Order: sequence, then structure tokens, then C-alpha cells
Amino acid sequence: MEFTREIYWNVGHGFTTLAPMYGLLLVALAVFVLGFRKRIKVYRLGQALDRTDRRGERIKHLLETVLLQAKVFRVPGAGTAHALFFWSFFVLFIGTSLIVAQADFTDLLFGIKFLKGTFYKLFSLTLDLAGLVAILMLAGLLVRRYLVRPQGLVTKGDDALMHGLLFAILITGFLIEGARMAVTEMGTPLAAWSPVGWGVAALLAGVGETELRTLHLGLWWFHLLLALGFVAVIPSTKFRHIVTTSANAFFADHGPTGKLTTVNLEDESMEKFGANELTDLRWKDIFDADACTLCKRCQDRCPAYATGKPLSPMQVVNQIGEIAFATPEANLIDTVGREAIWACTTCRACQDICPASIEHVGKLIEMRRNLVLMEGEFPGEEVMAAMEQTEVNGNPLGMGYASRGDWADALGIKPLAEDPEVDVLYFVGCYASFDKRNIAVAKAFVTLCQAAGVKVGILGKEEKCCGEPMRKMGNEYLYQTLAMETVEIIKGYGVKKIVTTCPHCFNTLAKDYRDFDFAIEVVSHAVFLEQLVASGKLSIKAEEFACTYHDSCYLGRHNDIYDVPRNLIRAAGGRITEMAKNRDQAFCCSAGGGRIMAEEKLGERINIKRVEMAVATGAGQLLANCPFCLTMFEDGVKGANVEEQLRPRDIAEVLAERLAPTNS
Amino acid sequence: MNILICIKQVPDMESKFKINADGTWYDRADLAWRMNEYDEYAVEQAVRLKEQVKDADLTVLCIGPDQVTETMKKALAMGCDRGAHIADPDSSKREPIEIAAMIAGFAKDKNFDLIFTGMQSQDRGSAQVGVMVAELLGVPAVTTIVGFSYDNGTIQVKRELEGGSKALVTVTTPVVLTCQLGLNTPRYPTLPNIMKAKKKELLTLAPDAGGVGPRQETAAFYFPEKKGGGLVLEGDVPELADKLIQLLKEKTGVLA
Repeated sequence: MEFTREIYWNVGHGFTTLAPMYGLLLVALAVFVLGFRKRIKVYRLGQALDRTDRRGERIKHLLETVLLQAKVFRVPGAGTAHALFFWSFFVLFIGTSLIVAQADFTDLLFGIKFLKGTFYKLFSLTLDLAGLVAILMLAGLLVRRYLVRPQGLVTKGDDALMHGLLFAILITGFLIEGARMAVTEMGTPLAAWSPVGWGVAALLAGVGETELRTLHLGLWWFHLLLALGFVAVIPSTKFRHIVTTSANAFFADHGPTGKLTTVNLEDESMEKFGANELTDLRWKDIFDADACTLCKRCQDRCPAYATGKPLSPMQVVNQIGEIAFATPEANLIDTVGREAIWACTTCRACQDICPASIEHVGKLIEMRRNLVLMEGEFPGEEVMAAMEQTEVNGNPLGMGYASRGDWADALGIKPLAEDPEVDVLYFVGCYASFDKRNIAVAKAFVTLCQAAGVKVGILGKEEKCCGEPMRKMGNEYLYQTLAMETVEIIKGYGVKKIVTTCPHCFNTLAKDYRDFDFAIEVVSHAVFLEQLVASGKLSIKAEEFACTYHDSCYLGRHNDIYDVPRNLIRAAGGRITEMAKNRDQAFCCSAGGGRIMAEEKLGERINIKRVEMAVATGAGQLLANCPFCLTMFEDGVKGANVEEQLRPRDIAEVLAERLAPTNS
Repeated sequence: MNILICIKQVPDMESKFKINADGTWYDRADLAWRMNEYDEYAVEQAVRLKEQVKDADLTVLCIGPDQVTETMKKALAMGCDRGAHIADPDSSKREPIEIAAMIAGFAKDKNFDLIFTGMQSQDRGSAQVGVMVAELLGVPAVTTIVGFSYDNGTIQVKRELEGGSKALVTVTTPVVLTCQLGLNTPRYPTLPNIMKAKKKELLTLAPDAGGVGPRQETAAFYFPEKKGGGLVLEGDVPELADKLIQLLKEKTGVLA
């Protein structure tokens, strides 16, 4: 016996079936196309942005994100269920396509059938199992959404429609199969290859053939209508994410990670800066709203949201969507709210985890740019004062610029103005130059370099803030002024390599400064020190100690440097007990995004929350790699009243204590 | 309405000050410069008044070497309409009366309704220039204002007096007002205004004190002597007496 089945069994394969079927398909496709046509018009309200370059990379990213569900899979539970549902539904889609391909093309036109024999048996089994997995995963997601109800999960009418429609499609599919099998396959060896269909057929055992045929025919058309209805409603329901989220994987930002767009301030025709209306945003910002599935992963990881501040990255994205599709004239800043706009620490936890390739941070920065550059508004007077201090003295702390290099006086290192022949330029940054606690880190770093025989130079009083906090706070003009001066000075000395102890300086010099024709190699101190240890130039004597390690946002999520600092700590004898939120899931210290200049007035203190996470590890030391983090943790241990239990330190300080005696 | 705002460029007070070679003033090296804080209140109040009455013309005046135009640009970016730079590289050597004479010389034929300036400079701190300008022009002056309102030609200001008391003063134009901390919060210039400021008129004038010359001489200029910190004793009287005796015994020879 040939293992196959009659396609269009009981339905007929004549004009009376094919004409209405393909007619309805055309209607569904037309609704689909018209629906997206309307939405594309709205996306195009945004400013131009090229996201179709680097096609190879984009297609690779698209396939990984969609077919492999790589990003969805990162969060176990709902992510796993979605991935399994996607794969099984995808298999069902391919299966249905194969049936159409054979019945309505290869067989109809050329008499070729391929759904037969062993292939058919496997085909049948695979589809049956895929349907089963899809139903189980959908049931799991239904329980999560409607019974477990995770905190912050937004459930709308769309969700009920999606669950209902998908269940109906899957269940009618099995009923049709069962009815057919009850008439044609029960008792044959083929039945075993459709286990779920066999089960349904067994349930229908007592029903007569005529009734089964009537049931089958009715359900067949109903199933078809449901499937085509599904296609038709994609653009107008959350089902649209099948198209938009996938497309967004293609349009995703390909970095450099966290580099902001540089505004052309030379262009005198520019009269408006930043965004306070929908049309000031780029088309991708509007498209992002349509790609969002409200999965709330961003919100779950946002340090501002977690500490009771009025910012949810998910909500910001969707407020933009609401403006775009409902009230295009609305003021963006009033809708999102100033407190939400200022609360962002640009820690990138939202963007990093987003399975829909949404860019949350850039939108908030555009709104900040509008507030600062067009209105002269800041989150508080202390921020405005810090901006003015930076204009006058080149640092937000308001310290006299001429004393910037004083910390190095006794260390035997000179400004490049006095001796430009150095191995590396140490770009010290404001905090390590002026803040007592962080000067200790700068000194430790220089000690380590000197022990390794590296000749270090600094810019001294010629160094100014790299501009990062001002830029993240929206002050693009001040940032560019500082950046251009810094670029000119550094280039003037013919520097070959720059090392930073501040990840904010590092990220800015290494990425943002590229827009100012600056291509000098920049290395973070953690990476630089690890290279010195690995090459044997720096000998560290391992002395055991217990600690936990905090991944700064700008070394971690912005630059994927996770293992290097940990290796260094272990080389020094450190036993790391990780905090619950570590590596790419690390919880911000609160000082990014220019927030180092601002008072934290709303909700709980982020730094205290992080310090408490560190205390919970039971390790006595909290190692950091960033002056902002260190400042926040020193403040946090006081605020949390755990000064006795937790000592925040920079990795360089621990290493400097463990310098092995030289061979002399 | 025709308004003059007199500003001064001063060193940032966080700078590392050194005494100059003549021993008469601070050395200009390694200093960061900014607008005198009190003059910022003056600029802000003038701009707010213009925003209120719409029809006003704001001239910002500054005396000093060429580098002061950087500070003048900030005033223009905040909203002043034109700048008048009296180019005097030796302005730091001038006495308040010479500075006031230069300003009065500039202002006398221009019919300013209002002249705003800071109540004093952060570096010399004489607090004399404003009132001297008023005297030389023959108009009234109200000093150390911390509140300002304008209604149909009538100005009402709040003055800060000694001991925390305040005075309300009603004046009409023309008048010189010197501004004190608390009057307002100066704005941060917007980028379009910074761009526009670059194109605003900025006149450069030669210094002319109209024959007014120096009347004083700086004899010496020095940092205050470093003294040991004071000590405040706390407690009830017998305890205080014991502590004092103890201290006198330990640190001095008066009881020996």
C-alpha cells in the first residue's frame, strides 16, 4: 500500500473549491497589504535614516533573530514557550505550503506527487507533533497571561483575540484530521503516524460516516476562513509583530553599540534640535512602536522603573506609537513626561534585552536634546550648574581647571606638553582627576603601569571632560565643543594609544569621537592591565580574597567586556561571588546618562539597591571598574548603612596592593 | 524701552590664584573666566523685562581686554540685542570711579531708561560702580535688589538690607539697579540663541574716562595669613571653666 492521503478529500478539488478558496485568499492578502500600506505611511512621517546598508549582516541578524529566535530565547519561561510555539507554527506553515504546492501545482499541472511513502509518514508525524507542541505552548502562555499574571504585563483585547484565533485554528485542524482519519485511516498502519489525529478519530469512533463527512466539510471551510482571517488581521492587531518585529531585526542598529547620532551643528539652516513632535523622530522610532510586543522585558530590567521612577522604556515606545497612530499633533515631551525623560541612566538594559530590536535610549536622548538645546531645561539646577562649570573649567565638579593634573605631581608622570614621548596617554577623566576617592584609583593605575615599565603621560590641565555626561543629558552643543577641543589636543601630540580608567570616557573616545575624525586606539584600563599581566610585564602576586564584581554599563553592555575584569580579579586571588544581576543583566549604579550630575529625587535610590545586592553575596568587597560606579557605591554603602560590611574598590586598587616584588 | 546692562568678566573663584609680578593684583595665568555672578542676574532680569514688554532694546556693555567678548557672547545668547566692548587691556588696574566714568561716558547721550548691573564684582568687590554711574548720569540708583516688577512705567523693587530685612522701593525710569543673589535664576542659553548671538552687533570702543583719573594706589596685595582654627567649647558653665583651665594649662604659659 502507498503511504499517502487524498488531499482535498471530501472537499473536492474542482473549480467550486479552488475559486472561492483562492478568491478568499486574495481578499485576505489585499486586506493585509492595505493594512500595512496605511501603517507605512505613518512610519514615513519620521525623518530619514538608512537602515538598509550592510545587507549581509542585516540578513544574518534577521535569520538568527527570527528563525533561531535567538533573542526571544534569552529569557526562559515565556521566551522558551514563544520560541517553541514559533517553531511549531512555522513547521505547520511549511507543511500547509507543501500540501498546496503538491495539490494545486505539481500534481495539478504535472502529475507529480511527493507527499508519499516514508516522506509522507515523517511529514504526517512532524506536523502532528508540531500542532501538539503549538497547543501546549499556547496553553502555557495563556495560563501565564490570564492566571499567573506577571507584574507589569499589559493585557489587551488583542491578546484574547490572538489566543482565541490560534487555538481555534489549531483545534479545528486536528478535528478535520480526526474526522478524515475516522473515515479513511483508522485500522491502517498509517494511522500511527498521526498520533494526535488518531486520538481525535478514536473520540469520533461512534459517529457515522455521513455525519463525519458533513462535520469535516464544514470544519474545513471554517478552518480556511480562520486561517485567512488570521492573515487579514495581522496589520491591525498585535499579530503584526510577526511582520514588524521580524523586519525590525533587519533594520536593527548595527552600532557601534551605544554611539549616539551626531547632530550637524555647522548646518546653519537647522532651526530645531532634538524631538518634541513625532515628525522630529526618525522613521525607525515610529516603526519600533509597531515592533513592540509589550513583552515588558525592558521594563523588568529598567533601574529607574525598578526604583519607582516614572519611566518605563516599554511605555515610552508605546506612547510614541499612540501619538503616531492616534494624535500625531500631540507634544511628545508632554506625553512622555519630563520626569520619565530625565530618569534614564542610558544603562542600555532595555535595548540589550529587547527581542524586537527597539532602540529606547536614542528616543529619550532626542527628547532631552530638545529640552536642553531648545528650552534650556534640565532636570534640576544642580545639572545646569554642572553644565556651566564644565563650560568654564572643563569639568562638572567645578574645580579649577589648572589643578587637573595635580594628583600626579608626586608620581613622576608629566603632561604631554612637557614630555610627549610616552607609550600611552592616560586620559584620566574628571573624577579620577579631582575626586579624592577616585584619585586613589588613578594613582593605583599609574603605579601598575610603572611597575610594568609602561611610560604613561597625561594631558594635565589641557585635559577636559570628554563630554559624555553632558551629551547623554542632551547637551550636544557642549559635548561637541569639548570633543573637538580634546580631539585637536590629543592629535596634536601624535598619541598612538589611549588608556582610560573611566568606561564613559572609553566609550566616548572609542566610538562617539569617530565622528570627529579621531581614530586613535583607546583601551579601558581593565583590558590594558590584563594584557600587561598576560604578556608577563606585570606580575601580580595572588592573595586570596572574597569579592563580588559589578559590571559597569559602559564596559559591560556597551562593550561586551565581561570576562577580562573577572580574569584580572582571579589573577589577584579574588573569589567572585556573583550578584543575582550580573554581566549583561547587571543593574546600573544610577550615574549613567549624565545622572552623575543630577540629584536622584524620585523613588528609591538606585545605588542603595545595587549595594544591597552586593551585600547579599556575603562578600566583603564590591569591585568596580568605573569612577561613577565607585562614587555611587561609596555613597550607597553609607546610605544603606553597610560601611562595615562592604568596601567598594576599583580593580586597579586591588591589583596595586598585590604587585609582585621586582626581580631586582 | 532702552536698556543697558553692564557686566564684568571675572575669574572663576575655584581657580588657583597667584599674585602678579607687581604685587598689585592677581596674576592672569591659569585662570578660568566667566561672567560676574551678580551681572548674570542683571542680564537675566533685563531679558525677562524685554520678554514682558516686548518692545525693548538691550545693550550689554563690558570693559576689559579682547577676551571679555567671550563673556559678552553669553549675554547676547541669553537675549541681549547688541554688545558694546570698551577695549581696555588695563581694566583691572582701574578704580571704580574710572570704570563708572567710562560707562557714563558711553551712556550719557543714549537715553537708557534702565541700567542693570551686578551689585558688586566677585573679584574686586567694591560695590561702587553702579551707584557711581547713577551719580555721574544724574539718575537715581537702587542697590542690591532681590525682587523686580515692572508695570506701565512704574518699577517696584525689593532691596536686601542688613540684618535680613527687606525694603520695597517704587521708582520710575531712568534708574540704575544693582542686582543681588536671589533676584532670579539666570537661564541657560538655547542653541538657536547661541547661534544668533554669533551674528549680533558687537561694537568695540576705545576706553574714555573723560578725564577722570586714578585717585588711589594699591600698596600691597597678599593672601590672608593662615591662622589656626578657632575652638568652640560647649557645655554648662562649670564644665566650660574646667575645659578652659585645662586648655590654658596645656597650650599656654599664662597659668604657669
